[in-house]
Amino acid sequence: MALLEIKNVSKRFGGLKAVSDVCFSVDSGHMAFIVGPNGAGKTTLFNLITSVHHADSGTIIFDGRDITRFSPDGAAKLGIGRTFQIVKPLRNLTVLENVMLGAFLHTSSPAVAEREATRVLTFLQMQKAMHLPARGMGLPMLKRLEIARALATKPKLILLDEVVAGLPTTEALKLADLLKRLPEWGIAAIGGVEHVMAVVMKIADHIVVLDHGVLIAEGKPDEVVHRPEVIEAYLGPKYKEHMPS
Amino acid sequence: MSRNLQAAIAGAIVGIALLLPAFLHTDYTLQIIFRIFLFAALGLAWNWVGGYSGQLSLGHAAYFGAGAYGLALFARAGLPPWPAVGCAVILSMIFAALIGKVSFRLRGPYFALCTIAFAEVLRLTAKNLPNVTGGDVGMQVPALFKYSTTQSFYYASVLLTALAVALTYWIERARFGYSLMAIREDEDTALSVGINTPRTKLYALLLSAALTAIGGALYASMFLYIVPDQVLAMEVSTEVAIVAMLGGAGTLLGPLVGAITLESAAEIFKAWFQEAHLLIYGILIIVVVLFLPEGIVGTISRKLAVFKAAPIPPFTEKPRPGAKAETTRAAVLK
Amino acid sequence: MNFIYGNLQVALDGLMTGALYALIGMGMALIFGVMRIVNFAHGAFLMLGMYATLVFYQPDVFAVQLISVLGRFGLPTPEFLTRMAQVHQFLNPYIAFLIGGALMFVLGYVIYLGLIRPIKGQEAFMVILVTMGLSLALVDAAQLVFGADYHQINMPLKDLNIHLGPHLLLNAPWLVSFGIALLLGFALYWFVMHTMFGRAARAVAQNRYSAPLMGINVNRVQAVSFGIGAAAAAIAGGLLLPMLYVFPFVGNEYRLKSFVMVVLGGMGSIQGAALAGLVLGLVENFTSRYWGNQWALVVDFVIFILVLSFKPSGIFGSQRA
Repeated sequence: MALLEIKNVSKRFGGLKAVSDVCFSVDSGHMAFIVGPNGAGKTTLFNLITSVHHADSGTIIFDGRDITRFSPDGAAKLGIGRTFQIVKPLRNLTVLENVMLGAFLHTSSPAVAEREATRVLTFLQMQKAMHLPARGMGLPMLKRLEIARALATKPKLILLDEVVAGLPTTEALKLADLLKRLPEWGIAAIGGVEHVMAVVMKIADHIVVLDHGVLIAEGKPDEVVHRPEVIEAYLGPKYKEHMPS
Repeated sequence: MSRNLQAAIAGAIVGIALLLPAFLHTDYTLQIIFRIFLFAALGLAWNWVGGYSGQLSLGHAAYFGAGAYGLALFARAGLPPWPAVGCAVILSMIFAALIGKVSFRLRGPYFALCTIAFAEVLRLTAKNLPNVTGGDVGMQVPALFKYSTTQSFYYASVLLTALAVALTYWIERARFGYSLMAIREDEDTALSVGINTPRTKLYALLLSAALTAIGGALYASMFLYIVPDQVLAMEVSTEVAIVAMLGGAGTLLGPLVGAITLESAAEIFKAWFQEAHLLIYGILIIVVVLFLPEGIVGTISRKLAVFKAAPIPPFTEKPRPGAKAETTRAAVLK
Repeated sequence: MNFIYGNLQVALDGLMTGALYALIGMGMALIFGVMRIVNFAHGAFLMLGMYATLVFYQPDVFAVQLISVLGRFGLPTPEFLTRMAQVHQFLNPYIAFLIGGALMFVLGYVIYLGLIRPIKGQEAFMVILVTMGLSLALVDAAQLVFGADYHQINMPLKDLNIHLGPHLLLNAPWLVSFGIALLLGFALYWFVMHTMFGRAARAVAQNRYSAPLMGINVNRVQAVSFGIGAAAAAIAGGLLLPMLYVFPFVGNEYRLKSFVMVVLGGMGSIQGAALAGLVLGLVENFTSRYWGNQWALVVDFVIFILVLSFKPSGIFGSQRA
């Protein structure tokens, strides 16, 4: 059963058609990634799923419900968690308190929230940093903090927006291994937006390629990556002759 | 400075204040300390909206005035004093709901200006409706305490501050407080963890308006007479905001420290610089904003935090001072 | 017939006041547009402009007050003050206000660099607080130096009334102020639209971060813009002399009105603020005529709130809110 279904979704900003008639779905148990060159509309798609923007046309169905015209907090309450490309921790609070923010979605008791947050942070190997202020932390920690906060909301689907961007490759791969273990947390599916192909190839079992708002390919990573239209989208038509036939 | 340490200090100050009347006999001194604690309570109430959720209101005089005029008007309509205060609080909350609905949609300076506009509309309306409010001539306010000595009001203001401190302490620990702080930091992040930001902001404002109104009613009753330019003036709004910011917006102890500092300074200025005291007050505001933007408590907390410098966690990256670094890297690596 | 002429007179008076509001509003819009800051000291600048004009026009008033203030602090009277106290009329007010404007420009420039630029990130609320503190300090200083008394100025030509047909009349000094305000308004508009500096200012207004990449000295542009805005307020103050009493708190009403104009006119749009000024002048005058003076300011604020509620980008503004 598809957990998330995107049906003919389009979104235009003024004169720019950011997302054009995109259709795909994410099944339970999948790790799907959206890839594509810059400006392809990937983050816009995420924003549409979480109702930060509303689609001009098309429907988005999550867990059987039509969420096309929801609100971001409504989407979160339904079980869609997300991280942001530009990390925004609560600087004046500690790492633990930051994650408690996410845990508070399901409880109003600070004690319970603290327990939950501790569990999540331990999973992400951040126990030592729990009581440090979020201000002044380095990027790898902050990226994990984003994930921790989203995890604490006990989402069914977690959307990771360029979660390894800016990390050195060793860091990125370490994080990728952790991400592979996310299903242990009861997360049914993961959607990611990524540029770092090393990570995508390592953990995705399904990828969707966007270019200029249009979905140009989808399928298993190894297979999609070799398709001519995908290579052309990234490298331009000049390299057509180098492509496998 | 940890929350518990701040609460302990606040508690000590309140405790001392409760004992002081035994040693102080001049009405004048009691009145000064009354003012200190009144503005401390008002500052703490403002803090919930301005400090913790980052919605910097410059129109809190609207709620203060609603409390004052509410008491006067409902009492004149026949209600006994304390129920009239209750109704005044409700009136203030109704104003808050209206003001919030319009203002919260606005960003940055527009929000502040809108709050000012609402407060000014109320002030001018009070001035222009002499049949209702007595206009510039003013209105009588009933006495809230049987023996309306300055002492009763003194204790009332200290207790109001204690209430505000207790509420702030609870808020800081509870889910509500986390939601407020998330909203201050970034509303989109708050939304992404399921916080209903408009509703949360409104609740903070309603609570703030309620406490401010009680303060207004108290103040009005102490003088037994009010005029619009006294309780609905922009000066009240700015003083409340400055008390909180001087002490440290978003901290528990801040407004209390701010109120003590500001009121004492004002008294000293009045004594030394009779005619130029507003000039000095203005300069004080400038100095505070330029040199102590985090307020007294905020600055102290930051300096103390240096001692808690942490061991580097086992990751390849060293912690960097400030998060500006990753945005540049992320932009470069795209 | 009388009804029409009556209202026409109200409208005429409203437009004349409106032109002066427009000048004040344009100054504020320039500051807000280029720097996104809300200048709470704008009214104080207006007040200083009025006093500057007064001092240069009738120095004795100022000198006498200052002598008594110095006396109170036990300080001796400097020679030039005694001489000033004997001069009843020095400069023509229509020259004096230009000097006031020039002085205010310099003061504004210095204030910007000294008080506003140091604020971290120029966070809007902090700037509001600083300019508020500045306003308090300036107004109180004025009270100290000039005294809290109300002064009324006898402008040249004050008794001359120009008749437009048998039913309408215009008071000459008002008309002169109106004319000068219009002239300066257009001059400011031309300056912002057609000079190199104006272009630089608009660049900074649009994108503070890429402007330096084009060789624009952002600090200088911002300081000059602030200076111009302050000068505009001061000159408007000088031009308002025929119509208002001069006293330290005269500016307070105008600072809030200038916010209304900036919002009404659309974020940082100078033309918008100018039009808004005219509209405000008209609306206020009609309100005063039919409901009484005391409601004029209330109507201003109600309009302000309505615009913020339904069209925050302003009546004349683009969708960039």
